Amino acid sequence: MAIFLQLLFTGLGIGAIYALVALGFVLLIRAASVVNFAQGQFAMVGAYILVVGVNVLELPYLLSMAIAVVLMAVFGIVFAATTYWPLRHRGGLPVIISTIGASIFLENIVLFLYGPSPEVLPGLFDSPGIQIGEVFMDSQYLSILVAATLLVVLQYLIFEKTLLGKKLQATSQDKEMASLLGIPVAFMILFTFAYSAMLGGIAGMLVAPVLFVSVGMGGLIALKAFAANIIGGYGSIPGAILGGLSLGVAETLGASYISVPYKDAFAFAMLLMFLMVRPQGLFGEKISEKA
Amino acid sequence: MILSRRSVMVGTALAAATPLRFARADDTIKIGGIVPITGPAAEAGKFMQNGAAMALEKINAAGGVLGKKLEWVIEDDATTNPGAVLGFSRLVSRGDCIAYTGSIRSTQVQAISPDVVKAGKPVMFGGTNPGLTQAGNPWLFRCRPNDNYSARVISDYGVNTLKKTKWAIIHSTDAFGTGGKDALVENLGKLGITPVLVQGYTNQQTDFTPVVLAVKQANPDVVSSYFTFENDLGIFARQLRQLGVTAPWVGSPSIINTTALNLAGRALFGTYGIADYTPDASPEATAYATEYVKRYKANPDNQSTWIYDGLLILANAINTAKSSDPQEIRKALIAVKGYKGTEGTYNFDEKGDGLRGYNVVRNENGKIVFDKRIDFKD
Amino acid sequence: MSVNLASARLWRGVPQAIAAIIAVVALAFVVPADGYYLNILMQAVTYAIAVSGLVVVLGYCGQISIAQAAFFGLGAYGVAIGMVDFHLGFFPAWLCGIGVAGILGLILGLGSLRLGGHYLAMVTISFQQILTLFLTNWLSFTHGPDGIRDIPRPSLGPISFAGGHAFLALCMVTLVIVTLAVWRLKTGRLGRAMQAVRDNELAASTCGIDVFGTKVIAFGLSAVLGGIGGGLFAGGFQYISPDQFSFGESIVLLTMALLGGVQSPFGSLVGTLVLIILPEWLRFLKQIYLAVYGAAVILIMVFLPDGLWGLMLDRVRKRAKPILGEVEKLPLLTQTGQESAEIVLEVKELAKHFGGLKALDGISLKVRRGSVHALIGPNGSGKSTFINVITGLYKPTAGQVLFAGQDITHEQPHLRNRAGLARTFQNIRVWRGMTVLENVMVGGERPGNDVAEDAALVVERALAALDFVGLRGDAHRMVGDLSYGHQRYVEIARALAATPKTLLLDEPAAGLNLTEKHELGELLRRLKGHGLTILIIDHDMKLVEQVADHITVLNFGRRIADGLPREVLNHPDVIAAYLGEPQEAAGVVA
Repeated sequence: MAIFLQLLFTGLGIGAIYALVALGFVLLIRAASVVNFAQGQFAMVGAYILVVGVNVLELPYLLSMAIAVVLMAVFGIVFAATTYWPLRHRGGLPVIISTIGASIFLENIVLFLYGPSPEVLPGLFDSPGIQIGEVFMDSQYLSILVAATLLVVLQYLIFEKTLLGKKLQATSQDKEMASLLGIPVAFMILFTFAYSAMLGGIAGMLVAPVLFVSVGMGGLIALKAFAANIIGGYGSIPGAILGGLSLGVAETLGASYISVPYKDAFAFAMLLMFLMVRPQGLFGEKISEKA
Repeated sequence: MILSRRSVMVGTALAAATPLRFARADDTIKIGGIVPITGPAAEAGKFMQNGAAMALEKINAAGGVLGKKLEWVIEDDATTNPGAVLGFSRLVSRGDCIAYTGSIRSTQVQAISPDVVKAGKPVMFGGTNPGLTQAGNPWLFRCRPNDNYSARVISDYGVNTLKKTKWAIIHSTDAFGTGGKDALVENLGKLGITPVLVQGYTNQQTDFTPVVLAVKQANPDVVSSYFTFENDLGIFARQLRQLGVTAPWVGSPSIINTTALNLAGRALFGTYGIADYTPDASPEATAYATEYVKRYKANPDNQSTWIYDGLLILANAINTAKSSDPQEIRKALIAVKGYKGTEGTYNFDEKGDGLRGYNVVRNENGKIVFDKRIDFKD
Repeated sequence: MSVNLASARLWRGVPQAIAAIIAVVALAFVVPADGYYLNILMQAVTYAIAVSGLVVVLGYCGQISIAQAAFFGLGAYGVAIGMVDFHLGFFPAWLCGIGVAGILGLILGLGSLRLGGHYLAMVTISFQQILTLFLTNWLSFTHGPDGIRDIPRPSLGPISFAGGHAFLALCMVTLVIVTLAVWRLKTGRLGRAMQAVRDNELAASTCGIDVFGTKVIAFGLSAVLGGIGGGLFAGGFQYISPDQFSFGESIVLLTMALLGGVQSPFGSLVGTLVLIILPEWLRFLKQIYLAVYGAAVILIMVFLPDGLWGLMLDRVRKRAKPILGEVEKLPLLTQTGQESAEIVLEVKELAKHFGGLKALDGISLKVRRGSVHALIGPNGSGKSTFINVITGLYKPTAGQVLFAGQDITHEQPHLRNRAGLARTFQNIRVWRGMTVLENVMVGGERPGNDVAEDAALVVERALAALDFVGLRGDAHRMVGDLSYGHQRYVEIARALAATPKTLLLDEPAAGLNLTEKHELGELLRRLKGHGLTILIIDHDMKLVEQVADHITVLNFGRRIADGLPREVLNHPDVIAAYLGEPQEAAGVVA
């Protein structure tokens, strides 16, 4: 039982990381119908900015994080302007390819600028964690869980309770109608890119003390996060969160009770199972085309 | 008429191209090398280039080879096997390299092995998979001890020095990790021990809790490991300590390399590692370390020492052979006996293995301290 | 036959291919003997074969696959394991690899039954990842991460492919053959079916194309091509390991296809060459070359929408010539029709509910052979739902549909078409990636049609149908370049080429201007004159009055009138429904 609880805690911690990245995915899917294959690199870029702030400029940790979040927003807009905007009328596939190009570009430009050594970032807290009974709770996993919860609540408030959120929702549902209603659609989409980059960056910063900061840190996480999206329901916000958490738990339990080397297979096997049995995911809408 | 004119043109083009190609070849003697400049091992590539630069300086200060300066020309292998194949064949197609240096990664050496046979020139490499030199390729020369020795040293030290019998083995499922695990299980078997846990994992994990819990349940009195990437080692080390496993840990060389020490920090204090290179092991090793620290303001590790030894041995062999003929160089390399390098004393055999032992070191609060050298005769 | 038709010739492209084979064999033997050029060409050629698989599945059939490196790997592992462990010859081992790849490709294609777009992409990614894990961890069978070395090269009778040049020649010849096959596929029946599925699945299914089957075949073919390339790759490099067939490589292959132009195997060839050579050229940039490569991918996507091949093609594209010459008229035109008492289409108590909304609520009607039957009603009365249920796009909640004496209530749409039920759409559904002629040819190619098995006759039939609607001169234009009204005629021609027993027209006058409406009326009268059974849905009363023999009126999913035009149009309920009682109509979703 102790082992199970320990695995459950770890799984939730890992799952929260997937969920955070998945959240960034979902917003772009909803607002701009973009499947962003560079979402993992957003996390990487965010973590590197934090490294520069904390390890190089030796600024206070929280101040560095705040600066990094702002820079990520700027980065998101630049990303949108170069990778998405010129291709926005050409359907999904060209944008997918161009985000793949962007992911290759980002990894290698950071490699060039910052060198290949993985970097160590201290955690938010000095204590490594707390022991509760048989379960050891890593302080970094705890902070990831807390941050994920806060961000979800914040996002809910923004989307459901503010005018900005309403406009964003309208944009994601019907761009033509939104622009007829006088909503600045272009601004809304750029805002979403900025927000999504911020989310990705925050995920990267939170996960950095656990996984270290390296150029390749985002790739596999992003793939799992995308899987989490589909398990949760394509384009669904609660789906992304639940999908991420359940994926984290499932692969941690699967690794422990079935096979460690095949750990990554569980995530994808789970995904395949969902796609065959319940393609709309946990929270998705039925897929159908009207004649 | 048209045909003949065309053939004249082609002839002229070839004539124009050919001398260009050989004009510069005379200035220096060239050794080609594949280096991970991009990709996950780009870090190791940097260390490697440092070591090579030091070797070249030493060689050229002592008069170079065959009366000329030695030059090391490199191509990126992008840390992938196809990248290594293309990089290596690009070097071969230059046509002016008389020997080559390979990779510290076994799979890359394996990938270029067919091309090495075709090129027919000696390749100094650092991959430790025992099979590489045993598959009948006469041109591969290993500048590190192979994994059979790493496993023999780990088991010998754990059983005979630490007096431990309940073994847990953690290994990467890649070529390096699997090879090491197999050798370790075999050598422990010879000492009459069956490990209580043998656990593989796939490279580049985000979390090691399931592995650590498996170790905890097996309750070993010694943990041994073959990790490939320092990120994995760092995460595992931290979680192992967090979840309260305190058994002594004897790891493969990656446990004491600079990056791992930097990443894992306190979590690796008190562990044992085996090292093909450690600064205190011999006067040669110490001299190298002093020089390296002076130049690069960083501690040297085996990513740079094998190429340093390899280039020096190669230069000596070329000078001994007094020829750039590959067969002559090969004979001279096999004849190397008792060469004291930074990694130990080289005695090359017919297959191309030069070293047969490891240093055992201890991590004392982040400092790597030499413990003992274990060498085997066979 | 009176038309000379390039696309129907049996040997089309073969002479060029033979010339290309001679050229590449010669080329293969003059490549410098040192390893670099051989290796890079070997890689480019084997990759290009795999990339042509993506042309089939993505370019032709419009299904995204991010697992091509996995199929490439299956082919490679087939050769490696077959030769090294089972001591098979190269060719049998190659076939095993291709077979396994093909079967798994078909299975992956089955996933397309319920999934499209991003979902399918994710399925292929999952397959890719799981395969990589198996290749890495199933040590006893795949040799694990060490990979397999010393893979021998084949010999065929007296010819030995052991040397680098000879093997490169084998690879290049295979590439030429594959390219020819993929190029010819595009203008063949299967290729057209794939493109129809890509451009509009619903229209494809109502034109007799088994959409699901076509996708599965496209996946299978794509996987087979991946396997072919992979087998040669294993022979070429003589060493393989799992990391050569990873997710990253699948992305590289996909990028190659899109860069070159996914609509043509020549495009994929160009894309592969560029992406193999580009990083090599960029090597002088050392550390930064992959970054430049990534940026180049974005720039190419932005500035070269149709890929490099599309760009080249735009420069040299000739104006397509119309096909001249007399063609045999549509068989329909040789007959003159009379309405008969025979019932062709009978609908009994048909109901279709969307949740609580009863779009159809127990509709019955009978369509007699040779008659023009009109189904009218205000917006939201259920007309379009009715036709969608009849053609099988919607499953009915209750009721029965009998066509030519057969119960087709639960048939697939494409099988209904094959039984003789053809339709057009209210919102035009032509296949925009194809020419006018090709659109209509797909109609003529429905299995069971009298001309379906002979490509030349299909072309003739399609031209005849275009003659009938007056679009013969536009046969070689892209269908998207036509006006809205003419696109509607293409739909009608497409339906007529299939020799239907009954033609269903879903609001054919929608979006037409007055002149066009008038022309449409003329066309319908001519069709009626030749005795074609027509079920027409429209609310243009004038058009309906002109042509209808019989009218059924729907309102709120129920039949409110049925009978001869004059009676029905004077029926008080009908007048009420049309003039409208706002408070009742207000609740209806348009």
